Amino acid sequence: MIEFFINGQPVQAEDHQTVMQAAKANGHFIPYFCWHPQLSVPGNCRICMVEVSNEGQSEGSGWLDIACNMPVSPGMRVLTDSQKVRLRRKETLQFITLNHPVDCGICDKAGECTLQDYHFEYNGSPSISRDAKVQSTKHFALSERIVLDNERCILCTRCVRFTHEVSKTHALGVQNRGDHSLIRPVEDGAFEHDPYSDNVIDICPVGALLSRPFLHKARVWYLKATPSVCPGCERGCSVNIWHRKSEWKLKALDAKQNARIDRVTPLENPAVNGPWICNKGRDLAMIFERARAEQPMQKGRPVDLLVALAGARALIQAARRPVALVSSWASNEELQTFHTTLAQRFDCFVKTDCQPGPGERIEDELLIKPDKNPNRAGACRFFPALPDDPATTFPADTDLVLVWGEGFSFAQLPATAKIIYLNSWLQPENGHADVFLPISVMTERRGHYTNFQGVVSAFEACFEKKPGVLDAEAVFAALGATP
Amino acid sequence: MTGRKLIMTFPVTATSHLLEDYRTRGGYATLAKVLREMRPELVTKEVTASGILGHGGAAFPAGRKWGVIKLNDGQPHYLCANADEGEPGTFKDRWILENAPHLLLESMLISAFALQVRHAFVYIRGEFDLPYRRLAAAVEEAYAAGYFGEHILGTDFACDIVVYRGAGSYVCGEASALITSIEGKKGYPRNRPPRLTVRGLYQRPTVINNVETLSNVRAIVAMGGEAFRQIGTAKSPGTQLVSISGHVQRPGVYEVEYGYPLARFIYEDCGGGLNGTPIKCIVPGGISTKVLTAAEIETVTYDHASLTKAGSGVGSGGMVVIGEGTCMVRLLQVLLRFYHHESCGQCTPCREGMGWMHRIIDRIVAGEGVPEDIEQLIRISKANDGTTICGMGDAAGYATVGILAKYRDEFEYYIEHKLSRLGGRLEVPQGAVA
Repeated sequence: MIEFFINGQPVQAEDHQTVMQAAKANGHFIPYFCWHPQLSVPGNCRICMVEVSNEGQSEGSGWLDIACNMPVSPGMRVLTDSQKVRLRRKETLQFITLNHPVDCGICDKAGECTLQDYHFEYNGSPSISRDAKVQSTKHFALSERIVLDNERCILCTRCVRFTHEVSKTHALGVQNRGDHSLIRPVEDGAFEHDPYSDNVIDICPVGALLSRPFLHKARVWYLKATPSVCPGCERGCSVNIWHRKSEWKLKALDAKQNARIDRVTPLENPAVNGPWICNKGRDLAMIFERARAEQPMQKGRPVDLLVALAGARALIQAARRPVALVSSWASNEELQTFHTTLAQRFDCFVKTDCQPGPGERIEDELLIKPDKNPNRAGACRFFPALPDDPATTFPADTDLVLVWGEGFSFAQLPATAKIIYLNSWLQPENGHADVFLPISVMTERRGHYTNFQGVVSAFEACFEKKPGVLDAEAVFAALGATP
Repeated sequence: MTGRKLIMTFPVTATSHLLEDYRTRGGYATLAKVLREMRPELVTKEVTASGILGHGGAAFPAGRKWGVIKLNDGQPHYLCANADEGEPGTFKDRWILENAPHLLLESMLISAFALQVRHAFVYIRGEFDLPYRRLAAAVEEAYAAGYFGEHILGTDFACDIVVYRGAGSYVCGEASALITSIEGKKGYPRNRPPRLTVRGLYQRPTVINNVETLSNVRAIVAMGGEAFRQIGTAKSPGTQLVSISGHVQRPGVYEVEYGYPLARFIYEDCGGGLNGTPIKCIVPGGISTKVLTAAEIETVTYDHASLTKAGSGVGSGGMVVIGEGTCMVRLLQVLLRFYHHESCGQCTPCREGMGWMHRIIDRIVAGEGVPEDIEQLIRISKANDGTTICGMGDAAGYATVGILAKYRDEFEYYIEHKLSRLGGRLEVPQGAVA
């Protein structure tokens, strides 16, 4: 450990750290565009200039250099906000905005753009150039998912380095020279097959890389980020689910727009996913915006919820050999409730709710794991996994099966067994169950998932429950209570 | 004549670049002596003692660069000759590559021995055709004669050389961009630290010297560092190959001993202005050094101390003579077009600043300039000074500020009258008085 000074305050740092790292670790703010804690240091944006002087030098006699590439040395004095520094940052911003279109009014990044923030902090004045801006490609399809605006691009090369250092597809590069430089795929379609491609949208410090599904869908200040867990695989990456703020739910918008997942971004979690998530996690809307089951049924006939619950209770009381198939999408809280209320009555097994989709990447070294269910680890703490051969699991005298969650074919069950089915989605099996009870999805309730490493992550409710739909916990409480 | 000679010591003939001729001039004798009698650290000691400064433009002491390399540190070292001679007005290394390629190769072998280099590189400018062919032929000759490869001259010393051709980028003449280019990447300069002598080519300690700097190594080792130091001035030992062009009567490459009077060199050795045209100013060492007016030339001697004192520098030795009647506005336009074209686009101030300055000067030349433009050019130049990854942003700024400081009146006239006071001429007027 060595000691040096930032703005006169002593700071402890490791020998190998840079001034940027030490400043960040100690709560001193230094602006940056190109630097990223998980990527190499290109030192090209030049906004992180700080004033440095050595021990014994007088204040104000320091030189300017970039903090991101400056090794710490004992006794050095760093000023992060001196007059010299502010002037230099202003000049750098004048360069950066020289050919930047400043079309914040139609830019999806507006409101969460570092260039906007720094402009207000360090420059704030209109352009001093009399000359026309360099024109460039405004909508370049970098892939099916990402559109690139080369005029907004400040060539920080974070996206290029991401493909080289994190996703390792080496899909992006810089074409041409000088102020004609362009971010481009190294060959046509090179960026289509990067399962982590959407992370470049988040790390882009300006609005140059934009999500095509999210393009012009919402201003970010109308949105709220709810911390959640991606249910796409057993990694259980921490994510933010962005949806409309309750105070901005507009009557002019239909109910669907007011309750939709606008976008999903990573929530930094060093223990699980770092700052990244895969593209499947971005597409959670495709999972959660499937048609929902809202109507309790008995043998396909719509019935009142209380009638359905009473029917289920009667089936459980009458059963001599009941089996329960527990959802691997259930939260730890739901599993606990099931365990305390009903589990003693059943032979319980953890089932697989979701299989990998066609063409889906099964596993890689970065994040993606083969089991596409978020809480098998949590469920398997309570119950054993469902064996591969159903014949051993369902003896001929099995007379009741409680199926919790989607993805299980009733054809595997003995023909005589009664079925109680708890599911969130509108699916044909719902009508085949003796009692069908619609339940809520994870975006409508809070809870915890345990991932394959044993790390427990929390998720919060984003939306109201559908009317007539119960949480699985409430169903179990109602079924377990003696009438 | 222009003082003592170290490189241009022989008459150029049809065969003077060949190995046989080089051997009759005593070629490769120094290498044999070094391999037989010297230890690596002794060679570095001589180079340090000679006080030779880099001849590529930055004038960094070569001995200090070499001194960073730790011998026997268990990792490979690399040596690279920078033959990417791209500074406008500079063509001195070309003379060595065309006429004395074996001098470079012998010097590189001695340097490789001193720095424990197994693999040496020459990064040669892509546009060089004859120099490349001459160098490549010399490498083949040297391999055939056993100067490269294993067991050189019967010793345990082994060294291979790779000649790598650039693809036409000015920035690749910057040492770190050069090695990035050799590694097969886009020719972007790298941030320091780390220095290239600590982590350079393929992340290993690397020494990169200009062709002329390296070519002096043979002479330094042959005569000894102290003897070398007696040539030139105390602070600028040795000689400099000067390539002089522009409005000058006898353009070409001259070897000038440091300390030689500049006016005498231009007016007597090079015959003064073309067809007797009076000289307006000179660019002393590549366009990135500040111009010196005819009056300033009078008192200057050709060495680092004197030229720095005059507000300019030896630079790359690429001298350009600018005759009376040349329009400095158009001249600056040519320079800024070059810098804009060659900016690699990696870091912000240069990427945006070069284009900005180019657009401003284009507008002035088109007659649409406004008086604030001059201040704007100076402001952009200063915002580029010391803020960029490599020296290119600074260099463009020095050139601009240098011209604007001395010829501001021409720019003001152009902006006010929307035309050049000197007819926008870049050539010497026809029918100049002989």
